[in-house]
Amino acid sequence: MKTLEYVITDPVGLHARPAGLFVKKAAAYESSITVKNMENGKSADAKRIMAVMSLGVKQGNKIELSIEGGDEDTAQKELLAFLKENL
Amino acid sequence: MGFLSGVFKKKEVEIASPASGRCVSIKEVPDPTFSEEILGKGVAVRPSEGKFYAPADGKINTLFPTKHAIGITTPEGVEILLHVGLDTVNLKGEHFTAHVEEGASVKKGDLLLEADLQAIQAAGYQTITPVLVCNTADFADVIPAAEADVTPGDNILRIKL
Repeated sequence: MKTLEYVITDPVGLHARPAGLFVKKAAAYESSITVKNMENGKSADAKRIMAVMSLGVKQGNKIELSIEGGDEDTAQKELLAFLKENL
Repeated sequence: MGFLSGVFKKKEVEIASPASGRCVSIKEVPDPTFSEEILGKGVAVRPSEGKFYAPADGKINTLFPTKHAIGITTPEGVEILLHVGLDTVNLKGEHFTAHVEEGASVKKGDLLLEADLQAIQAAGYQTITPVLVCNTADFADVIPAAEADVTPGDNILRIKL
């Protein structure tokens, strides 16, 4: 299993377009991916939009991704790059 | 009818308009997040009144602190997102009043939230309201209704299970 932590810098948090794009990207990997809002301890399947939006991730909140599966190395690297660029 | 309803499983879920106004294609929404169906397939309503009602029975699983968007999960597992206006997250809750809490169970037609449409427009935001199925991929099809004037309760989406 791989994990990564990231602090959200987007002023509206993990919401709408970037959240949708993030979920689309996560869904493309074979690995199971869980996203946790370190601020309130809630976690969700990163491949489900409604679940991810209900985490209430705001600007400045730290999230942790747990990635497990055959393509976990690629997923970890690419998702981190995606987060840095979009969120 | 009696025994038949037990033999055949429900094959379709109907989602009602949350507001009075005009039901239009999601492609009419001038925000690619919605028109490109990044958050799921759906339809949109140009509201003529600022009262938004539950489009189906379900549970409120997301009420954004900014009160501009609500997520409802129906008993069949359809995850509906109601997003009042575009970029209205930036209003930080101003001009919105929520009438439900996260975790509440609602019946179709229950009042969910009120929005001051005029004030939102005066602040420079559009009030067109996308109604989406976030877990579109879980279903055989999501079919929007044709453009028409609607009142709350009129069907605007059909979901084939």
